[in-house]
Amino acid sequence: MTRYELIRGRKRPPTAWMPDRREALAMLAAGSAAALAGCQRPRETITPFVDTANEIAAGEAVRYATALELSGYGRGVVGVVVDGRPIKVEGNAHHPSTLGATDPFIEAAVLDLFDPQRSKTPMRGPVPTDWRALGEALRAQTAAHATDRGAGIALLTGRVLSPTVLKQVEALTTEYPDLQRFRWEPLHDDAERVGAGIAFGRALAFQPRLDAADVVVSLGADLLGPGPDQIRMARGFARRRRPESGPMSRLYAIDTSLTPTGVMADRREAGRPELIHNAAIALAAALGAPLAAPALPPALARLVAQAAGDLKGGGGRGLVLVGPAQAPEIHALAHWMNGQARAPVDVHAPIDPVAQNHADSLLSLVQAMRAGAVKTLIVLDSDPVFGAPPELGFRDALRHVAFTVHAGLYRGATGRAAMWHAPLSHAFESWSDTRALDGTASLVQPLVAPLYDTRSAHAFLAMMRPAADVGDLQRVQATWRAGSDGGDFAGWWTNTLAAGVVPQSAATPATVPAARLPAVTPATTGPGLTLVLRPSPRVWDGRLAANAWLQETPDPISKETWGSSLALAPADAEALKLAAGAAATVRAGTRLIQVSVRIDPGHAQGAASLQTGFGQVDLGPVADGVGANAFALRDASQGFLIQPVEVLAAGAARPPPATQHVFELAPADAGLFPVVAASDLAPAKPRPSPPDLLTPPNPAPIAWAMVIDTSVCIGCNACVVACQAENNVPVIGPEEIAHERDMHWLRVDRYEHPGGQGGFQPVPCMQCEEAPCEPVCPVEASVHDSEGLNDQVYNRCIGTRFCESNCPYKVRRFNFHDNQHWPVFGQLDARSIEAQRNPEVSVRARGVMEKCTYCVQRISAARRTAEKEDRPIRDGEVTTACQGACPTQAISFGNRADPSAAVNAARRDPRHFVLLEELKTKPRTTYLARAANPPDDGGPR
Amino acid sequence: MTQDATSRWLDGPVDLTTVSVQVTAPVLAPRNRGWWIALCASGLLTAVMVAGMVYSFESGVGVWGNNTSVVWGFPIANYVYWIGIGNAGTLISALLLITRQKWRASINRFAEAMTLFAVSIAGVFPILHLGRPMYFYWLAPFPDSHTLWPQWRSALVWDFWAILSYLLFSIVFFYVGLIPDLATLRDRARSKLVARLYGVFALGWRGSLLHWRTHRRLEFLMACMAVPLVCSVHSIVGLDFAASLMPGWDESIFPPYFVVGALFSGFAVVVMLAAWLRGALGLQDIITPRHFEAMARVLVAASIVMGLSYATEWFSAWYGGQGPDVAQLAFTFGGPYRWLYFIMLFCNVAASQVFWLRRARTDMRVLIAVAVLINIGMWLERMLIILNTLSHGHLPSAWRLFTPTLVDFAILAGSFGFFALLMLLFSRLLPVVSMHDVRKLLSEEGLA
Repeated sequence: MTRYELIRGRKRPPTAWMPDRREALAMLAAGSAAALAGCQRPRETITPFVDTANEIAAGEAVRYATALELSGYGRGVVGVVVDGRPIKVEGNAHHPSTLGATDPFIEAAVLDLFDPQRSKTPMRGPVPTDWRALGEALRAQTAAHATDRGAGIALLTGRVLSPTVLKQVEALTTEYPDLQRFRWEPLHDDAERVGAGIAFGRALAFQPRLDAADVVVSLGADLLGPGPDQIRMARGFARRRRPESGPMSRLYAIDTSLTPTGVMADRREAGRPELIHNAAIALAAALGAPLAAPALPPALARLVAQAAGDLKGGGGRGLVLVGPAQAPEIHALAHWMNGQARAPVDVHAPIDPVAQNHADSLLSLVQAMRAGAVKTLIVLDSDPVFGAPPELGFRDALRHVAFTVHAGLYRGATGRAAMWHAPLSHAFESWSDTRALDGTASLVQPLVAPLYDTRSAHAFLAMMRPAADVGDLQRVQATWRAGSDGGDFAGWWTNTLAAGVVPQSAATPATVPAARLPAVTPATTGPGLTLVLRPSPRVWDGRLAANAWLQETPDPISKETWGSSLALAPADAEALKLAAGAAATVRAGTRLIQVSVRIDPGHAQGAASLQTGFGQVDLGPVADGVGANAFALRDASQGFLIQPVEVLAAGAARPPPATQHVFELAPADAGLFPVVAASDLAPAKPRPSPPDLLTPPNPAPIAWAMVIDTSVCIGCNACVVACQAENNVPVIGPEEIAHERDMHWLRVDRYEHPGGQGGFQPVPCMQCEEAPCEPVCPVEASVHDSEGLNDQVYNRCIGTRFCESNCPYKVRRFNFHDNQHWPVFGQLDARSIEAQRNPEVSVRARGVMEKCTYCVQRISAARRTAEKEDRPIRDGEVTTACQGACPTQAISFGNRADPSAAVNAARRDPRHFVLLEELKTKPRTTYLARAANPPDDGGPR
Repeated sequence: MTQDATSRWLDGPVDLTTVSVQVTAPVLAPRNRGWWIALCASGLLTAVMVAGMVYSFESGVGVWGNNTSVVWGFPIANYVYWIGIGNAGTLISALLLITRQKWRASINRFAEAMTLFAVSIAGVFPILHLGRPMYFYWLAPFPDSHTLWPQWRSALVWDFWAILSYLLFSIVFFYVGLIPDLATLRDRARSKLVARLYGVFALGWRGSLLHWRTHRRLEFLMACMAVPLVCSVHSIVGLDFAASLMPGWDESIFPPYFVVGALFSGFAVVVMLAAWLRGALGLQDIITPRHFEAMARVLVAASIVMGLSYATEWFSAWYGGQGPDVAQLAFTFGGPYRWLYFIMLFCNVAASQVFWLRRARTDMRVLIAVAVLINIGMWLERMLIILNTLSHGHLPSAWRLFTPTLVDFAILAGSFGFFALLMLLFSRLLPVVSMHDVRKLLSEEGLA
């Protein structure tokens, strides 16, 4: 009997009641194969992405358009599925919020799907239970409300834009007319909403178009920072920052701590929030508002004067953006200034149907809970026990509620505090729909059947009603069938699924009157420090804190991983006698948290800043105890500014480990990150090639090369996480990062020129033609291929590390430990993570050096296709993971031997430079220098 | 040769018989508690080393302080240090033979033994250092099924051959010099078993004129081969660094500077061993203060060459004016490792200058103290060559410091214990002084 018969399940000979050795091995193999094949396609028909061939072959990647949400806003993505396993997320070029690119949050979503920390079964208190028990309890509870018209039911959600969820909530309110609905996001937009009300008399949503703005003034607005709109904003910004493709825009920024926006600004000044407030008034006054301009420090005053001059003159279009921490009046003032500057802003009615402020909504819920008015509390995908201000006492208020149930992807603090917890399915496991910031709707289709005993939010909401469940697909289809014109719905459905966006679903533009000038008074700086809460570019508001990829992603500015420190200006740190890395207690009134201190030379004096989302205690081994919870310092108004705070030294701390320690370039090193004035750029003259003793390489039909434009790199880390997802790069945890053993194949260096502009420099492998790593390897594990790639043969590597010691760019990564086993998951079984791994990329063993390969597996795939079709590989046919992720399209990649390739156009750019050219390593990865408007020259060109 | 019938290099009433008695006594009639205590202590340290190594093999090289920028650490420094010690023994023995330095007779044997043990220890470290040590043999050209060969351009492959050939040569050289003395042991043995054991290795030495003539020729020829081999070994170790493009490493001075450094540290260890053997085995008549004086002179000369090498490095970095080299120099003198560098300079350059004084050259305490300092300094030098360059390479974003772990120190300390263990065993199994060379010296000086 062969193993094949055994696997096929043929009958066994009657004598063999026990398996022999070969059979035992075969069963073992079959068992492991079954375990690996545990990922199943959903039962229903799902539709591949419109841009792919509609055939599915074993081992071939199939792409499906779907959508992911960030704080409720839908963002269209494309999931890459191989043999039923989603392994990678890409942007959807048809979707207005992703435009084919991603951000770190989108890239990391696939890890959440396979995260062993996910909630896997319904819980009743600490006891695992099942959906039947939960459903019965829920229906019994809701049935009790039949008499009081649902007056005792409270539903707390985050921002919900999904038409189907909204329809379900509406159905619930029809059934229970007095059901109270609350909506709360910790990173809310209350100031924007109130500000729009002041300026226009009603709530409105705004979509600034950076590509149409000639002058942009950021008043504490991290317009290039993280958020649902980051990709669109960054793309728009980048369109106007390449001097060769039209006149450059000019960006002024005042921010409290250094932000990506501040780094990318032509002129940036640090200012504490009160000064930003006053600078806004001064700017408005300079633009002609009848307001008394408050006094500003000289540097800020000069910036404001210069920005005002640019906004007024030149005939261009200006744009003033204000951060969420600023008062509503300042937002209103910005609307007025935008009116004066003919700002390119699209206006439409708000997408979020709830008009109430987030802070008010949560406050009224807690008041109702404490008053005993809530008998049944349903928390859908929200974690108020973690994120609500401590003085609301949400955990305590839960005790006043007879029945509490929390539904979420993770159990989290609220799931633990509630009586019941319902595990929700991941977006890649469920049917749904969502809407983007501009109103564009997307259908969400599952890429995989639920891995665990989880249900979608729709199914969970449906459990509250005794009616028979119809299934998510039917439910979502019903939503859209009602709105369709009644024609060929099946065809419409398939096409919409394939495209990833619902046609003509964007909000209709609103015409608005001129903004009213608000009454606004200058701010006075109070005693003590002002603390600014900033959304984390890594874990957002904390809902992504369980994601190990994101925890290990270095912060764009500080390069800290696994947590975040309190940033202080050097002068303040000195006055407080705090050294970098010291522990401190931050106190606001009676609220206090323990943090470690980071000294940020670019920070405004008199202020401190702290990122949100860290300091989890109940989310799982990855997030728990990492950093401090900034939300715990908020009062009930839930502002982003906390004034005053006291910072007290508290001994020694273990600060979050950082991956870069030196940011400032000495004058001798200035050439590592050149910044050129846009006005100085002349067409490149062919330079005489310097004398060369090296033998020129044989001309090959393909010579892969990459050019990275530092002019538009905003340091967002989408490329870093994309590379990690694509190439099975392990997570090593904070201890190993502290040992300086980070594994990212692609890192984003940040440099500052003393007294000048700096920027971001992504550093993948340079793929040197004269690679220093190759001749030093004693076993020839580091070799050059015919297309110019510097390959690492993992199974030949014996780990001498000579290659990395001789690499001037230090882009090789060594497996000091058995990194693929992910100790960050603690006692949890991390084998589910293996399902995420890209089957085209080897997993590296302990003691082996690894490195960027220009995504050689993607090159191979393109070569196979081209050879099948008997043609050369086309320009643009190979996209590296980092290139595909980049929101600003800073990376071009292609065949240098093809004169018409885009990468050669970039290499002919006058801004083209080679990192460490003097070493004669002849890198294939090269850069375009950052172009900037010199801080002191005139208006926009 | 002196007229008053006293030897220039030997003290007291030494004649052909007393030499044999004094030298063979520790081997043939062992009664020594101190030896046993020392053996236990060094055995304990050896156990620490073995434990550290087993732990490293078991858990991976992540248990050391190495990081992504400073990918090399203690094992490479230990390797360079021990191979340096190993260089000196054969060099001293062979060089002094060729240059007909008669005082060689008293020290060449244990210096050669030192070489064998140090090179053996050194050879372990490159293997230990590997991420996948079980595949170290891939450095050798063997007919594997993938028809893969080593990569001959890599300095590590040169290293592999340099160490291997040097070790094999040193064993043969040591053994050839030992043959007449093994015959002496055979003849003086008090039990048949011991006589037979030494007799086997004496290869039937009868002391005939033909034997002696052949032996002398062979020894001289081997010495002529040894000197270039010694230079090549440490030059190639220097090339591990010099054949790179990292600032502070790619310097043409490295090969000669490494050879002198090896001689320097090796001589310092010979001084320590001589002082120990002289006291412990009662060889005051054979290893005399004049020997120490001669060695002290070598040390002071070598320390000046070392100082000159350092100065040349600084000068060429400054004079070359290349950004990375200048930055490297500034980091050396201003970076966080600068105190280690200053200690290193003191140990390697300043400390030996005390030997300009005759009193210091003859004072055992000063000699031993300086020899210890030199060894600390030379180990630090090797460590700093790695640290300064790798911590402060071309890109500021990759500037990272190195923090050693307990395992690093355990293996380093254990390697000294292992060396001591081997020397202790050697002192009880073989004559620590070359009897036939001393006898030759006696006859040449007319005292026989």
